[in-house]
Amino acid sequence: MTTPWKRLALLFATLMIALPATAASPQQLKSRGYIRIAIANEIPYGYMNLQGKAVGIAPDMARQVLARMGIHNIRWVVLPFGALIPALKAERVDMVAAGQAILPARCQQVAFSEPNSSYGEGLLVKKGNPKNIHGYRDFAQRPDLQMGIVSGADQIDYAHAMGIPDRQIVILGANMDAVSALIAGRIDAYAATRLSTARLADKLSQVTLAQPFRDPVIDGKPARSWGGFTFRKDDTALLAAFNRQLKAVQQTPFYATTLKHYGLPQKAIDAAMAKTTAQLCAGR
Amino acid sequence: MLFGYHWNLTSDWAFALSILPMLLKGLVVTVEATVLGYLLALTLGLLLALLRMAPSRLVAWPTAFIIEFLRDTPLLVQLYFLYFVLPLYGINLPAFLTGTLALGLQYSAYTSEVYRAGIKAVPKGQWEAALALDLTPLRTYRDIIVPQAIPRILPALGNYLVSIIKDTPILSAVTVLEMLDVAKMVGDRTFRYMVPLTMVGVLFLLLTLLTATALRRLERRLPQRGIPLR
Amino acid sequence: MMFAQLLPPLLRGAEITAQITLASTLLGALFAFAAGIGKLSRHRALRWPAVGYIEVFRGTSLLVQLFWLFFALPIIGISLSPLSAGILGLSLNIGAYGAEVVRGALQATARGQREAARALNFTPRQTLWRILLPQALPEMMPPFGNLAVQNLKDSALVSLITLADLTYQAQNLRNITLQTVPILTATLLLYFAMALVLTAAMRWLERRVRYAAGHER
Repeated sequence: MTTPWKRLALLFATLMIALPATAASPQQLKSRGYIRIAIANEIPYGYMNLQGKAVGIAPDMARQVLARMGIHNIRWVVLPFGALIPALKAERVDMVAAGQAILPARCQQVAFSEPNSSYGEGLLVKKGNPKNIHGYRDFAQRPDLQMGIVSGADQIDYAHAMGIPDRQIVILGANMDAVSALIAGRIDAYAATRLSTARLADKLSQVTLAQPFRDPVIDGKPARSWGGFTFRKDDTALLAAFNRQLKAVQQTPFYATTLKHYGLPQKAIDAAMAKTTAQLCAGR
Repeated sequence: MLFGYHWNLTSDWAFALSILPMLLKGLVVTVEATVLGYLLALTLGLLLALLRMAPSRLVAWPTAFIIEFLRDTPLLVQLYFLYFVLPLYGINLPAFLTGTLALGLQYSAYTSEVYRAGIKAVPKGQWEAALALDLTPLRTYRDIIVPQAIPRILPALGNYLVSIIKDTPILSAVTVLEMLDVAKMVGDRTFRYMVPLTMVGVLFLLLTLLTATALRRLERRLPQRGIPLR
Repeated sequence: MMFAQLLPPLLRGAEITAQITLASTLLGALFAFAAGIGKLSRHRALRWPAVGYIEVFRGTSLLVQLFWLFFALPIIGISLSPLSAGILGLSLNIGAYGAEVVRGALQATARGQREAARALNFTPRQTLWRILLPQALPEMMPPFGNLAVQNLKDSALVSLITLADLTYQAQNLRNITLQTVPILTATLLLYFAMALVLTAAMRWLERRVRYAAGHER
């Protein structure tokens, strides 16, 4: 058989085989031989680099933690941010490593690991900040401004809480679309975490951070989120084992080195340890 | 919450009922995009067809290439091109208008072929008779050719209306809040896709069936031998 | 970044696009014959599912079908990989259009032939396979060619369910390099080239079919 036909046969074979849909315990994962982890292609939380390798805060940490659990074979799956939790619930993947914020609404759907990172908010604007934007409040006060938010991201809650109407919000399908939408003038600012926006501003000369930046204030406190890894609710054994090894890795220098490598300041690393998932899920 | 409506997650039926108003808002956008895109396709297509049939090859051949290119490349990529490239040259159309422009362009390539085939199907003797009667080109087209071509053209044009309806969800890729995008947003926020996506499927089925039925009725009323323009 | 650096990732995507198009066109042809023949069956148990399939897939949008297969189906426990969902969605969609082509061609050749076949004591199955299909197949080829190109263009939509086809690679590359104009231009040209090749291939196939069916010598 020639190669194209072999490939075609392979395509048909994959077509016939639906991915195994079973709950995953650490033992089951080991006997299956691999774990499926979803990322959302968001720099620096978790993304595919140009060589096609999954990198970022969450993938790097997950690799280390899972290695300690004896799981070395990881199949990375790139999904739109909004599809991460549905894909996890649909058993399309076994866990999510995207630094998703631990929020009460999400805790009702899925189980979170202990926090792995902590971050504030930011706005990415065109170079030179032509619209003179310095915070969410500018959008509430100036109806001509358009804010881009990725579908399923929690920034929409901040925007609503700050009184920004839906017609000023453009819902983007993927994180990666934000910069081109900004450069094309489709949006005036991209609302995401401080880290995400800062990284994009570092890498690309056409965009910059909105500075000075006034944090959105929600219920009297500046908005701050804690990110963790996400699991299915039934996979309690997997979550417990992961949490145990996560704590262990967080005690090693690898943790701080990794987070700093991706641009997280020491202050944010300290803050990551200040809350537990139980507290965050209860909205405290 | 979306467009000021709240969803009710107590049961699948309550959920479906609570998100129906949101989807209907998306449906309005779907219909608007369809109608605008279709009108654009009808006019642009006629222009392309006339240029394609121009006596000068300098006009006809480049037009033929443009039609072929529009027909053979994906609507989604054409849409990205318009959405991301036009602003770089200072043309800032809103997402919705960019979307309808993309629909209109792609379908103008199809409609131009319909016009051309319809006009070509008019028997040669009619052209010769018009020539013999010394009619001006305008009168030849207006009084002889076009009235006879219309009954051949209209049914094929109708089919493309149904096709355009089904292509509007592609506009969601550039943030146009049509029906599918609304359903996806609801799914992303509630973590439930089954109900909204199934509802969108059913609404599309209703929309296309209704349109197809209406078109068939219209077709039956058309006089078979031609429609005088005056 | 130079054109030469942008091209390799795009070509990788184009390869995936070609594979998906080929696989879904072949599978779609299977659906087309099954449903097209089924719609003409005398048995309701065959006819009704065929009619239902054709109407639903021609009446709804391909992108909705793809999203449904990708996002909604897993909720009832059927989790297709993105590749499977993409190929299945494309082939079900194009198959429904192909089914109408098959039905039309069969009906067009059936007039008059059926009585002759009955007079010669052919069973319905023999009539279909030995008399109707060989005559109808050449008539199906030109519309099949159009559908194959349609399918190639439709395959761009699988990029929206995260398959790394040509369109997906273009978007990804564009977001990393911000070289919008060269990338999207190259992408359009690559699709155009693939469509021309596909059209030529379908014409060749059409001639072969006509030859095999004895229409030309």
